[in-house]
Formats: sequence, structure tokens, C-alpha cells
Amino acid sequence: MFDFPIAGIEAPIFLLVFIGFTVGIVGGFIGVGGGYMVTPALIVFGFPGYMASGIDMTHIAGKGVVSTVRHRQLGNIDWTLALSMVAGTMLGVELGVRLLVYFKKTGIATVVLLIASVVIMFGLFLYTQIETHRAHKKLKELTKEGKAIDRELTTSSLPKFFQRIPLAPIVRCRTARVVVSMWVIVLVGMVTGVLAGFLGVGGGFIRVPALVYLVGSSTHIAVGTDLVEIVFSGGYGALRHSMEGHVDLMAVLFMLSGALFGAQVGSIATAYVRGPAIRFVLSYSLILATCGAALRLAYVLTGQNVEILSLLAVMLTLGEMIFLCLFILCLVVFAYLARRGRWVPEWAVPLLTPADDVEVPATVAAATAGGST
Amino acid sequence: MAVQTRGRAAIKFVFWTLAAGGVIGVIVQSFVSGQMESWYYHRAANDGYAVNADSFRDATKARPVSLEIADVDEIKGLQAVPVKKGDLLPRWANGVISSKEVKEGKRVALVEGRLEVRVPWQIKQSKGFKYKDTFKHKGIETYPWGALWNVVMVLLLGLTLGYMAEGFTDLLGLKIKRLQHHVGH
Repeated sequence: MFDFPIAGIEAPIFLLVFIGFTVGIVGGFIGVGGGYMVTPALIVFGFPGYMASGIDMTHIAGKGVVSTVRHRQLGNIDWTLALSMVAGTMLGVELGVRLLVYFKKTGIATVVLLIASVVIMFGLFLYTQIETHRAHKKLKELTKEGKAIDRELTTSSLPKFFQRIPLAPIVRCRTARVVVSMWVIVLVGMVTGVLAGFLGVGGGFIRVPALVYLVGSSTHIAVGTDLVEIVFSGGYGALRHSMEGHVDLMAVLFMLSGALFGAQVGSIATAYVRGPAIRFVLSYSLILATCGAALRLAYVLTGQNVEILSLLAVMLTLGEMIFLCLFILCLVVFAYLARRGRWVPEWAVPLLTPADDVEVPATVAAATAGGST
Repeated sequence: MAVQTRGRAAIKFVFWTLAAGGVIGVIVQSFVSGQMESWYYHRAANDGYAVNADSFRDATKARPVSLEIADVDEIKGLQAVPVKKGDLLPRWANGVISSKEVKEGKRVALVEGRLEVRVPWQIKQSKGFKYKDTFKHKGIETYPWGALWNVVMVLLLGLTLGYMAEGFTDLLGLKIKRLQHHVGH
């Protein structure tokens, strides 16, 4: 237990580190901040509501830097794409927050917010899930035929349309190998920023699919680039929350110490999988977040008398964190086994990369093999 | 060759570990010395009484806690310091009970020259979650440079920890290559 004098509560350090670790894994892997998971968890630990989102935002900024450093090493970041997007994102977030304040004045904020997030996240889930299933099927066919497969495979035709928009200036993103009008990037950043500011989430959820399906970058690069974006938007959010006095830096410190390890695991795990695997995890986290929001919506609409709904929402949030972590770790273990010629489930084979992007030295390999068997 | 890169990795790891340790040290030091708190609870945002809200957490309607009104620079336990908007808060104050609240007299009231706290916290709702709403953080203004310091420290911490981890994996000999995004496997 640690007494947080600024938050005014006592909370166990271990749980904070654990939350940081699990959210670090998920965030490093699918490129989201993870605010939708951390905020409820912190509230359950007893942090006041305003403080929970402030701590969450600050921790996301710090964790974003940690994951960005690792993704930079993996070559997952397209700096042209990231930096052209920053301005749009910032503008969008500010607009979104203004919109939120306007809705709050009308007094229907909570319901509108929850309905909007349920609809948007469910729509995104459906599209991602359908598209990824198609890609998965195609991957399976290609594997059967024994053809060489790229790290990435998307079946969406939307990027072609957006890349054809001929508005100057047209930028060439070298890492992502995308040539697209700057306006498309800025607009995508702005729209996702508005949604992020309005719904009060980091926006990674919306930005990663947008980067893949609208701009047309590969999923890995979308994840890395989105993390750069999160550093900027998270840092800005952290500054605003700090000015209000809604941040307890000691709690952030404990969460970051967990996130340090989690972010490494999550970021390095992306080297073991193909793009569709990341999109699968992203879509699962989307539907789980949708369920959480829907439960809270039901809780608010029923006049907040049905305590069980609130409890369910919290349980769901904590459960999904652990589920997503295990899913990601399973993928890594499968990739490791597949490379050594062992059995892995049939569905997993096309999702994993056979080549060695992470060269494991003999000593470490022996140690991990001993640990996993 | 291998020895050389291993040595470079060791230098990288040690350097960034020391840097991260330094950042953590600065944060912990500012926490222990109370500077962090004095930055949070810097000025009063409205007229009222500066209090240490932790001191009367257990007050109830049946058993109110009465605070001594005193004009001091350091709050010791059950004391309330009258402040005007924009005044620097006394040490260990972490909330301001507004004069409006005192006039209403529902949660707090003036009784015989002492401030009587009856309802120290209420259950409130945010984004569909319930939380305890206390007098803490109410009517205070944070030092803006302190807020900037917060963000800079967090970003620095992330950077140093990130490079520390990179140095660590280099030291282990874990070679992480740039991914070949567009080449068939």
C-alpha cells in the first residue's frame, strides 16, 4: 500500500504496476493508449474520477515514448506520416473538447457520449472484423498454395480511392510506401482527433484503422505512427490535466514502471506476426470496449439503480485486459513454436511470420525454451 | 567485433539507466520534500477557507468536525485559513471550502467562530462511474510551470526508460532488425 497524498487515497502499488504492465502490452501491440481500460480500473482502486483520467492521460504520454523508442528500432514509424498528422490531430482534439463542453452545457453529455462511442466503435469493429476475416482467408489460401506472403495483407479498396485524390501538396511516405495528398492525412488526423477529444479517449482505436483503411499504410506502420501521435496528443492532454491539478505523478511513476516492461513485450511481439493478427486483436479490443460502454449506457439509462450493471462493466474491463494480454502472448509463443517446427493451431499459421526479425542468441533461446516447456 | 558492440551496448545501458535513475530521483525528491504538493495546491481560485481536507475525512452529520479558524502559514491538522481569490495557499492546504458553501450551510457551517464540517464527501458520477467527491482539489489553482514540469518529467522518464530497455536488449545480444514491411517472407 502506498499513501498518495495528492489523490488522497491509499492504493496498492502492485496493482498499479500490474495495470501498467498489461495495458503496456496491449498498447504496444495495437498502438492504442488504453485509456478505456485504465480509467475504470483506477476508479475501482478508489482514485477520484477526475484524477483517474488525468493520471491515465499522463501515463499514456510516458508509455507512448517508451513504445515509440522500441517501434523506431523495429522501423515501424513513418515520420513523414506522423508529423504531417500531428497538426490535424491537435486541431481535432481541441475541436472535440470544445464540442464536449458544448454538449455538457445542454446537459445530455453522458448519454450522447456513450451512444456515440458505442455506435462508432461497433461500426469500426464490424468493418475491421469482416475485412480481417477476408484477409485471413486469403492468407490461408496463399499458404496452402505455398506462395510467398508479405508481412501485410489488406483486402480493403478504400486506400486506393483516397490515394487518388489529386490535391497538392502530395507527400511521399517512404517507410509506409504511400503517396497520398497531405490533405487526406491532415483530415484523417483531424477527424480522429475530434472523435478522440469528444469521446475522451486517446484515439488510437480510431486512428489505427483509419491509417490502415484510409491512408493505406501497413498495420505495423500504423501502430508505430499512431504511437508517435499518442505522445503528442497524450502530452498535450497531460499538460491540460496537470494545469487543472488532476495528476498524481507518483501514481504515474508506478504505472510507468510496469508499462516499461509491458511496452517492450507488446512492441517486440509485433515483429512475430503479420498485419491481420494485429487487426484481429484491435477488433477484439474494440468489441470489448463497446460492450463496456454499452453496459455503462444501460447503467445510466436505467437511472443508475442497477448496481450489477456497473459491476459487470468493471469486471468486463479488467477481464478484457487479461484476455488481450494472453492472446498476444499466445501469438508470440505460437510464432516461437512454429519457427522451431512444432505444432501450432491451423488458424494461427498464416498470422505468424516465419522469418527471424528478432535474432535470439543461443543462450537466451535456451533459457526461454527451458522456461516455456 | 562482437566484444566491441557488447561494450557499446553496456555503455548505452549504463548511461540510460543512470539517466532514468536521475529522473526518478528528481521526481521522488520533489515528492518527499513536499514541493510537488505545494505546486498542486498553489493558489486559491475563489474566496473561502483553505483547509487540509484529509484531516476531516471521517466527519458525519451526526458527528461533525470543527475546524479552528486561524491565519497561519502552515496548517496543522484541524485548522482553516481564510483566503481570498489569488492568494497563495498555506503549506499543507489541499482544498478551499468556498464562502458560498459556508453561506449555504448544508455541508459546512460557521458555528461560534469555528468552521463545522458535516458532509466531507459526496458520491458523484463521472462517465457512468461513481466516485467520492471531497473538498480536496476544490477551489485551488495549480502552478502552471509545475504542470509543465510534470509533463516534461513524464516524457523524459519515458525516453530514458525506453532507451534503457533498448540498451538492455542490446546487452543481452537480442538483435532486433528493422522489419521488412514490403518483402515477401
